[in-house]
This record gives sequence, C-alpha cells and structure tokens, in this order.
Amino acid sequence: MHLHLSEEDAAFQQQMRDFFTTQVPADLRARWAAGGEPSADDMREAQRLLNAAGLAVPHWPVEWGGKDWTQLQRHIYLQEMQAASVPPPLAFNANMVGPVIATFGSQEQKERFLPPTANLNIWWCQGFSEPGAGSDLAGLQIRAVLDGDEWVVNGQKTWTTLGQHADWIFALVRTEPDAPKKQQGISFLLIDMTTPGITVRPIQLIDGGHEVNEVFFDDVRVPADQLVGERGQGWTIAKFLLGNERVGVAPVGTIKRALASAKQHAAQIASGDGTLLQEPLVAARFAELETQLAALELTVLRVAANSHGDKPEPASSILKLRGSQLQQDVFEFTADIAGPASLEWHQPDDTDLAAWTALATRTYLNFRKASIYGGSNEVQRSIIASGILGLKG
Amino acid sequence: MDFTIDDDQKALQDAVHELAARHAPAEAHGDVPVGPAAHDPKTWAAIAEMGLLALPFGEDVGGAGASTVEVALAATELGKARVVTAYADALTAAGLIAHGGTAAQRDDLLPGLLDGSVLIVPGLAEPGRSWSLEAYDVTASGAAGEVTLSGAKEPVPYADAADKLVVTARAGDRTGLYLVDAADVTSTHVRFDGTPAVALGSLDDAPRALRAGLNLGILAVTAEALGAMDAALPMTVEYLKTRKQFGVPLAAFQTLTQRAADMYVSLELARSTVLYAGMALAADPDDATAASRAKVVTGQSGRHIGQEAIQLHGGIGMTAEYAVGHYTARLTAIEHTFGDTRWHLARLAATLDDHQQVDVLA
Ligand SMILES: Cc1cc2nc3c(=O)[nH]c(=O)nc-3n(C[C@H](O)[C@H](O)[C@H](O)COP(=O)(O)OP(=O)(O)OC[C@H]3O[C@@H](n4cnc5c(N)ncnc54)[C@H](O)[C@@H]3O)c2cc1C
Repeated sequence: MHLHLSEEDAAFQQQMRDFFTTQVPADLRARWAAGGEPSADDMREAQRLLNAAGLAVPHWPVEWGGKDWTQLQRHIYLQEMQAASVPPPLAFNANMVGPVIATFGSQEQKERFLPPTANLNIWWCQGFSEPGAGSDLAGLQIRAVLDGDEWVVNGQKTWTTLGQHADWIFALVRTEPDAPKKQQGISFLLIDMTTPGITVRPIQLIDGGHEVNEVFFDDVRVPADQLVGERGQGWTIAKFLLGNERVGVAPVGTIKRALASAKQHAAQIASGDGTLLQEPLVAARFAELETQLAALELTVLRVAANSHGDKPEPASSILKLRGSQLQQDVFEFTADIAGPASLEWHQPDDTDLAAWTALATRTYLNFRKASIYGGSNEVQRSIIASGILGLKG
Repeated sequence: MDFTIDDDQKALQDAVHELAARHAPAEAHGDVPVGPAAHDPKTWAAIAEMGLLALPFGEDVGGAGASTVEVALAATELGKARVVTAYADALTAAGLIAHGGTAAQRDDLLPGLLDGSVLIVPGLAEPGRSWSLEAYDVTASGAAGEVTLSGAKEPVPYADAADKLVVTARAGDRTGLYLVDAADVTSTHVRFDGTPAVALGSLDDAPRALRAGLNLGILAVTAEALGAMDAALPMTVEYLKTRKQFGVPLAAFQTLTQRAADMYVSLELARSTVLYAGMALAADPDDATAASRAKVVTGQSGRHIGQEAIQLHGGIGMTAEYAVGHYTARLTAIEHTFGDTRWHLARLAATLDDHQQVDVLA
C-alpha cells in the first residue's frame, strides 16, 4: 500500500489537469458547470477537442485510439476532466457502442463506425428499454425479420436519452422468436435514425426537460451488415455493454465539484449575522457528505486497482449504487441551501436571486433518474447479493 | 386527546374533496406545466366561496368560527388532488393580521381577505439570505403615518396576483410587520424603494404575530404535504400490483413491498403530527413547538415518500405525464417553504432546556 501517487502518476495528473483547464475553452466549461439541459454543440466541440488530443476514448483498443492506461490513470483522467467541468465524451459512443463494435464487430464495421464514433461525427443513442422491458430487459418485444439482405424492424423503444440529437441508434431486437430461452433470441442492430419508418416522440420529465424519447419503428429496413456479432448474440453483447457502463460510473469528480459549489453558495448566503455555512446543522451535513465522498473515492481507487481488464466486477455495483446515492444527496442538499429561492424555477428578468437557485430543485428532481437507469439500485443490490455474497434471490 | 373526525368535519372533507376533484390538473397528452403553480382565479374563487379561508377565524372578523383542525383537513384534500394555490400564503397573511393588527386593521382587512375578494400574501424571504422570521435587508423608516420601505423581498409567491402584501422589515434593531400595496407588482420579485407602507400593529406585537401567522401557514402546507403523501403511496402500491417484470408483478419482490411498508410508516407519522398540530394550534395559536415538529416530520416523511414513490415506479415516475413526480416536486417545494427541516430543528434545539422529556399530553 502506498499513500501517495507515484512520480509518474503525479506527472500524468498534472498533464491531464493542464490539458483540461487550458485546452478546453473556459466559456464552454462554465456552461457545463452551470448545469441544466446540456448543449449538443458544446458536447460535440468538447469531444472533438479531446479526440484530437487522443483523449476521447482512452479505454478503447490502442488500434482504435486507446491509451492502454492503468485503471488508476483512467480514474485520474476522469477525475480531472470532471473537476474542470469538461463535458465527458458521449457515454453512448465512448462507453457503450464503441467498445461493443471494437470487441464484437467485423473489421468492416470497425473501420466504418469507430473513427466517427470517437469523434462524435455519429451521435449514438441507446435503444434497449421498452415500455414492457425495463429491469427485465430480456423481455423486449421489438421484432426484426430478415427479408432478403435487410432486417425489417417493427416495435418500440423508450427512455431513449438524447435521441433527438442522435444520428444512429444501437438497438436490441428480437430476431429469433422461437429460441428456447428469450435471452437467446436477441440481436444487436445498428440503425440509421434517418431510415424511413422511424418516429421520435419526446417525453417530458418532471423537471420540465425533454432528454428522453420514445422511438417507434414501423417497417424500418436495416441492411443485414449492420448486425453486430452473431444472430442471437445480443444478450451477451448487452451484458458486456452494461458491465462497461459501470466502469467509471461513480462520477466522483462531478459530485466533488457539485459539493464544492454548494459549499461556496452556502458561504455566500447570509444567515443571521453570519452565513448559512456557519449554521451548525448545515456545516455538519457538509462534513458528513465530504466524508462519505472521500469513502467513495477511496473505494473507487481500491476497486479500480483490483479489477483486471474490462471484465465487469460485481464490486463495481457498489460504485453505481453509492455513486448515484451520493450524487442525489448532494443535489438534494443544494436545493436545501437554495432554500426559499429554490421555489422559483424561472426567475424574472430583474431578479436579485442567484441564477443557480432556479436550477436547484429541477436538478434535484432530474437526478432521481440516477438510481433508476443503467441498472437500478435494486438491480445493483441483487448483483451484490448474488455475485459477491452468494445469496441467490 | 381524540383524533376522531366528527360529522361536520367529515362533511367538510367530502366537500373539499369534490371541489379539489373539479379543479385538479387535467389529464393531458404532451407537455404539462411543471414547477410553481400560477394563480388560478377560478380555483381561488371556489376555495373562498366554500369558506376555506375563513375556517380558523372568529365570526366577528368574517371567519367561520371553525378551527385549525378544519384547516388541516381541507388542506390535506387539496394536497391529495394536486390543487396548488395561495391557500397557505393567504392564511399566513390572515394570521399575521389577526394576531398582529390593530382592531381597526382586523376589521378593515380580514373580511375581504377571508371572503376571497382581496388577496393578501406574506413577503418574508429576502434574496441572498437564508430563511428567517427576522428582516435584515428590507428596512422601514419614517414616523407612524409616513412609513416607507427599502430593499427587496424575493421570492414572494403569488405577489403578482396579490392586492396587498404583508412584509417583514427592519425597524432599528427590531423586525416589524408592514402592509404595502401590490397593485404594481408583476412578478415574485418585490423591490421597495421608498415605498409607502403602513405598520401592522405595533413592533411589540410583531414577534408573536409572526410566530402565530407562520404556525398557520405551516399547518396548511404540512397538511397539504400529508395529502400529497397520502396520494403518492396508494399510487405506488397500485403500481407494484399491476406493473409486471420478469413475468410477475413487482409486488412479488419483497424488497419492494417492504419499502412500501416503510413509506406507510412515514405517512402515518406525518398524519399524527399534522393532526396534532391542528389541535394544538386551535388551543394555542402560538405553539411553535407543535408547528415545528409537524414541519420536521412532514419534511422527513415527504422526502422519504417522494423519493421512494419515484424509485419504485422506475422510469415512469420521472415523467411529467404521470402524477407521482409532481407530488415529489410539490413536497420538495413545501420543504423549502416557511423554513426547512434544518431550520425547524434548529428552532427546536434552542428550546431543549425548556422541558425534561417529550410530552404531548400536557
Ligand atoms: C432519465 C432516464 C434515462 C434513460 N435512458 C435510457 C436510454 O438511453 N436507453 C435505454 O435503453 N434505457 C434508458 N433508460 C431506461 C432505464 O434503463 C430503465 O428505466 C430501467 O431499466 C428501469 O426500468 P423501468 O423504468 O421499466 O422500471 P421497472 O423495471 O418497471 O422497475 C420499477 C421498480 O422496480 C424495481 N425492480 C424491478 N425488478 C426488480 C427485481 N427483480 N427486484 C427488485 N426490484 C426490482 C426497479 O428497481 C424499480 O425500482 C432511462 C431511464 C431514465 C429514467
């Protein structure tokens, strides 16, 4: 065990810090830090800047832009990126479909898709969930039937995050309805969103935003060479992808930054003759959250150091579970700090209220999603119970 | 102590239930309003016409001569149906006037406020400051009869719909209550710049009036929160019974049904505390302990139930088309109204030396 970073890793940390804080425009980072609905243009610009510097997809195979970093370096990279409020590379591209194509795709698919995926020239969205298939993903119903050299897709996906910006969707579809197990009947299909027969309908969330969508498929014809891996291999691929989704899933740097902003805000809010930060109950909550955050980051570091390659570990469920809870706790507390000012969601032009207060409740409500998507916290607990503790439910 | 609801109270509940059903947000396809509710004159007129504003006040000032228990019952029904209005705000203003105003001010202002013809709301929060019953940055100056105010109050919910505001302002080193015209106010941001105002009662009476007025507001919002919880839980229970995953209803997963049971515990604790506050304030409008405890318990229960109601629904709970997230949003707003859980805990903490043990049967 070593307390300090090695000289090499410390230099790496400095290098990352310099890049993120000097090479990504400050105004772009300030917009990201302010929160609210993300700007697609900012996300594209950031990812392309990172990609030009070889920093968009460091965990991909070296051949396709990867860096062969250690897990610790990958943590440092994420941490510095989040601390500097740099929009992270689009998860659907960098963490989901990219690794899938790199691992299961044909050489042709890799050449066709990986470079534009790394550079966000293709914006991907994730078509897994359906109205009837959430936690029970294997229950998905959307059908794809082979007709000549095209798959004809009919059915519906839902909760498709940022589908309104997407150029392509990667979808789990049922191709083998007669397979003995429903998991065996699923395939992984890449679909151009401009294909005739696709309709996207926005879903309004409780904070008023429209980041998710329903996507309807009506006789959508998809060239057969856009199926990744083998027919019926979709479930294996999905499990690989969802495991991948949990790597770096506890957004420690983002939570840290949010907690630090909350502390700054509390120090600026007058309370009696002092500040809100000086109120004992408020100060105690900050101390509690900072301590819990330190425990999480240490666990991330310990688990990351022990994980081998890209194989998902049940321990990463700890990170998803605790990361989402802590992120939610920090946003809940931020809304508390905004206090009465949080009641206003749209401030009048001549307001005296700080701009962040109008976002506080909306952000709190919006991030209730974090314990639902990417494998709900109940699902994570089941993985811990069965995968680590050997308690088959 | 007796929590039994009598026939008159039952009739009131039923009547408010029907009123609320008529004025509840309509089912809609596509986008719906989210966030703070705008003032709806029709709903407001219906509430006033039913006499809900008048409930806790004496007949001498246009009141109905019922009590704060009835306020709690009525507000719970409104909360259940998601009828969000200035009810708690107007009651708070009425409480401030009833407990702080001169006899002439009470006679002059209360009848119109209670029959709904004049909307008066309190302006207490100051931008850049944490919640407080003291005023700091809004100041009053000038002799009686020519008082003016300077500074800003924000946000003042429903200020844009109000005829008058009753606001706190600093007078020397004390906090007083003042009435101002709100005719020109167009948003929840209220700025005073040598604005003429009238002192409400005396500086000596202001602290007690503020406590009692706030108590009434707290009762109304905690009862509304109780209603919201009382609706969010059955929706969740129903969903667990009907939503199927893995070929079985979610209710087949004990981890979820146990959590619904915990929500029920939170709900019942909130109900007891709110009804108790209703009785306690009927006996002593100045009972800040009962009010703060109700605010703390509904704050904690509301957070628990609001968050779990969404979580147990999964994705659908996050959508604006579905009611459960709106309840959570409203519970969150209520938590940040009239002092949050921490503020009330701090207020209770300051009174620990007053008693040896908790005693609700005093
Ligand atoms: C904001 C947001 C963005 C999303 N983005 C995407 C996206 O881009 N692409 C995509 O494909 N999907 C996306 N999802 C969908 C997400 O993955 C699903 O919401 C999630 O899988 C849960 O499914 P469900 O909503 O149908 O809830 P359900 O599966 O119906 O679950 C309801 C509740 O029951 C619990 N539960 C279910 N089964 C069990 C069990 N066996 N044991 C214990 N508890 C259980 C759940 O944890 C949850 O609390 C998104 C969701 C949200 C809210």
